[in-house]
Order: sequence, then C-alpha cells, then structure tokens
Amino acid sequence: MHLAAVESRGFRNLADARVAVGAGITLLHGPNGAGKTNLLEAVYFGLVGRSFRAGNDRDLIAYEQPAARVELELAPQGAVLLAATDRRGERRHLLDGRPLGSSESRPLVSVFHPDRMELVKGPPAKRRAHFDRLVGALWPARADLRTRYGRTLAQRNALVGRIAAALASPASLATWDDRLAAEAVPLIESRAEVVEALSAPVTELGAALGLEGMEIRYRPRVPPERERIGSGLAERREHDLGRAYTSFGPQLDEVELRFGGRALKRFGSQGQHRIALLALLLAERRALIAAGRPSPLMLLDDVMSELDPARREMLVAALADAGQVMLTATEREQVPAAAGAEVSAVAIRDGRPLGAAGLGAADRDAA
Amino acid sequence: MYAGPISRLIGELSKLPGIGQRTAQRLAFHILRADDDDALALAEAIREVKEKVGLCEVCFNLSEGPRCRICEDERRDRSLICVVEEPADVIPIERTGEYRGVYHVLGGALSPIDGIDPEDLKIAELLERVDSGVSEVVLATNPTTTGEATALHIAASLRDRAGANGAVTVTRLASGLPVGADLEHADEVTLGKALAGRRALG
Repeated sequence: MHLAAVESRGFRNLADARVAVGAGITLLHGPNGAGKTNLLEAVYFGLVGRSFRAGNDRDLIAYEQPAARVELELAPQGAVLLAATDRRGERRHLLDGRPLGSSESRPLVSVFHPDRMELVKGPPAKRRAHFDRLVGALWPARADLRTRYGRTLAQRNALVGRIAAALASPASLATWDDRLAAEAVPLIESRAEVVEALSAPVTELGAALGLEGMEIRYRPRVPPERERIGSGLAERREHDLGRAYTSFGPQLDEVELRFGGRALKRFGSQGQHRIALLALLLAERRALIAAGRPSPLMLLDDVMSELDPARREMLVAALADAGQVMLTATEREQVPAAAGAEVSAVAIRDGRPLGAAGLGAADRDAA
Repeated sequence: MYAGPISRLIGELSKLPGIGQRTAQRLAFHILRADDDDALALAEAIREVKEKVGLCEVCFNLSEGPRCRICEDERRDRSLICVVEEPADVIPIERTGEYRGVYHVLGGALSPIDGIDPEDLKIAELLERVDSGVSEVVLATNPTTTGEATALHIAASLRDRAGANGAVTVTRLASGLPVGADLEHADEVTLGKALAGRRALG
C-alpha cells in the first residue's frame, strides 16, 4: 500500500490542489515559506488525523476558510483517507467514508521535523511512548501491550491511593501487583527486542551521517520476570502507600540515546540532535523492512541543510531501496542523484505546487 | 428551562447509560407525545420489574423468586460453578447449550478507579459456596484489565482456602479466534493470543 496523491483544501497556506506522489522519493522544493513543510504536514494529517507540529488543530485552517480538509489516495486499492477539522473543533478521520479501525488499513509514517526533536532531547516518557508504538508497528499482535500495562498501572495507582486514604483494604493489592507484574513482562521484553533490533543500524547510520559512536540502550530496572517484578512491587509497598503512586516498574525505565559514552539529550549539540533523530528514524525504517513490515512513508523536513554533499548522497542512496519518501529542500540541487534513486521533483511557490516532474538519475546527470 | 415534571423526566432519563442530555430531551418529548396508554405501560413495566425481579439468593443472577430458574433446575450440575461479572453474561453462555453447571454472578469486576474492591463483589459468597462440595470453578470474567484481575483474585482466594475444602479445579475461559471467521479478518492482537494459546491436535 502506498500514497498515490494528496489533495488539500483550506490547509494552511496551500492552494486547493492535488499533488500526485511518486513511488520512490518525492522532493518538494521552493523558497522559505512557500508551503513545502505544510504539504508534508497535510500528508501526515491525512494519515494520522492530527499534526506533527506542536499547537492547535485550528492553526491548520487557512485564513478565512471554514475548515481544513485533506484527502489521500492510497494505491493500489484506490481507497481514500479523509482527515478534516473545522473552526468549531469538529474532526473527521475516515477511510472510504468509515471511521478508521486498526492501523493496518493505512501506511505507517515517520517524520523528521524540528518539533520532533523532543524524541532525542525531551523527557524519557516521549521515548517510552515512541518505542512502545514501534513495538506495535514491528509486531502488530503486541500493539496493545502498552495500553494494557497502562490500564493496570492506573488501577494499581488508584488502589494505592485509596488504601493510603483508608478508603479501601489492602486485601486486593497483591492481586493487582501480580497482574501488573504479568503485564510488565512482555512490555520489558518487547522494548529490549526493539532496542536490540535498532542497536546496530543506529550506530552504523549515525556514523554514516557524521555522528560517530551513537548508541541506543535500554537497561530495565528489573529483568522481565514476573516473580522479580512482583517482589520489587512488594518491597516498595510501604513507600508507594506513603506517596500514593507506583514507584517501581517499566513505566519509569529509560531508553537512552547515547553518543561518545554520554547521554545525547544532555550533552549533544543542536546539530548532533538533528543527526541523531535522522539516524534513529532511518534505523527504525531498516528494522521494519528487516522484519518484513512495509517501509514507512518518510516525511523529512529540511534534512539536507545539515549534511555535506557526500552525506546527502549517502542519504538518498539509503532511502532509495524501498518505500516512499517525501522530503523538502530550498534548492533542488540539495538532493543529489544517487545510483538507482528515482526522484520526482515538485516545485512549490506561494503555496502552489507547480506540477510533478519525473526525474530519474539518468535525466539528472544530463540536466 | 422546562416545567418541573418535564425537567424531572429529562433528568431521570439522562441518568441511563449511554443517554446524554440531548437524547434524554428527545426521549422525554417522545413520551409526552405518546398515547397515555403507551407511556403508562412503560411506567408500569419499570415499576413491575423493580417490584418483581430481584437477585437469586444463591447465585445473584436476576430472579423473580428467591431463587433463579437455573438454581431451581434439578438437572443442573451443582458441583460446577461458572463465575461471571454481570447477569447479562449468563445469557450468552446459556445460549451455547453446552453448559450444564450453575452460575455465580459477581455484580461487577475489581476496579479501584471506580472504587470497586473485593467486598463490593459477591466473592465471599462464592467462597462459601465452593466450601460446600464444588469440584470446578470456571472463571468467565471478561478478558479486560478488570476482568483478568478479578479472575486472578478469585483464583488466589480459592487457593488460600484449598486446605479447608480439598482440591477444587479452577479454570479460565480460553481466548482466541471466533469460529467460522477467516484468519484474514482476525485482528492481530486476537490472532496473537490464539497463537500463544495453541494446542496440540489429536
């Protein structure tokens, strides 16, 4: 399944238009403020039903328009994904007119954008949520692990709070501890598996992009063994009752991105954070492909400005092997021809895409 | 906003599950427009159900007398108890025609968030019933966070009392694929559970 076209109405500064999307790499190029990122955002909005930018849904709606609306045409089955939001805050997200069910019915998407830098330098909760979602993308049967653990944790927290306030007897606490321990085991195991799958590609791609010695590391505070987790919870019971929350378990674990033996979020520069995010997203893509999952649609906003010509070429070559990529650049030349890379370029001026031009590697050399 | 009796009716209707303020208004005006006979028949049906239907003193299923029809039925196997959350859960199991034992309706599931603790469910009553010669307890609570915790709690409580009442077998409903459905249409989570719980054939 891939994206064949995107059609937007009343979306930010974009003119109402339909843009065909090619099978490989699509380059959106134009001057600053032309609407390149807005088009990436429109695609993301169509797939996910919200923006990847921080801020309000209402910001998506163009000036003096009642609603923002994006339709994505999916090939080969010709399905249409519709996402819309209006000024009263009404939202729609439909696949062929029906509310969306499981994530299987639409392509996975992966975004590089400054607002996503939180994943590298933000608090651990962001990374936990991200990698737990990746677990579901890699192994769809495990998509509910995080939700299940979260629900059980919320119940245990509520019980601990009620016991502390003398509203409930501690009789059922052992039950909830055991339940929580049972739900924690597959969650910890899956996170470890995800990090294992990402470990080599993160280091390799980090180095290739100029971040030598990048690492991803998961060290759970407790091994995935039901008894160990259960006894850990029991040991901290008095402590938890005093504070009315659960102070032990994988909800507190950190998946660390490291560089040169130190935590990247604390010691990295802005540029290093950007490279790290790009390396991480590419590593995830590689892990998905290796697991036989479809390659996610990569939406890469202004990645080239950071890279020297050799690394730009390396990136295009790395992206050319599978799946779809949409990326933005101010200059068309920032996306060099690479062996086997099929690049279609779409120029954007004043919110108006000027039509897609097929541009294979061979044509590129001639031009 | 409306005359006293109307807003009282809207208020009562909006307490029903799944009924918001607007639906409650629509229902109230429907009742106002309806024939007197129809409207009073509804009122009478509500009164009758509250007067005549109570809980079975043995299993806490809905019952018109002190004991429900299932507990009254001499042919049911009293050494086999199926534990469910709500009276409504009895109906699908009865519909299978495969179950010959009796039931125990807990009246909910453990949920600290909603303030539901073991004492709020008919768990003590279940343990007492098990003491009087039961060979198997089938835990048929829902496969949700709260249903699983409830099953676990009951299983642990039964184990703790095992010394007193000898060996009682505790079983849990399997979860897996709906029969007759194509694998192609099963969601990944359900299919994953079915795979994890696979059995040897023959």
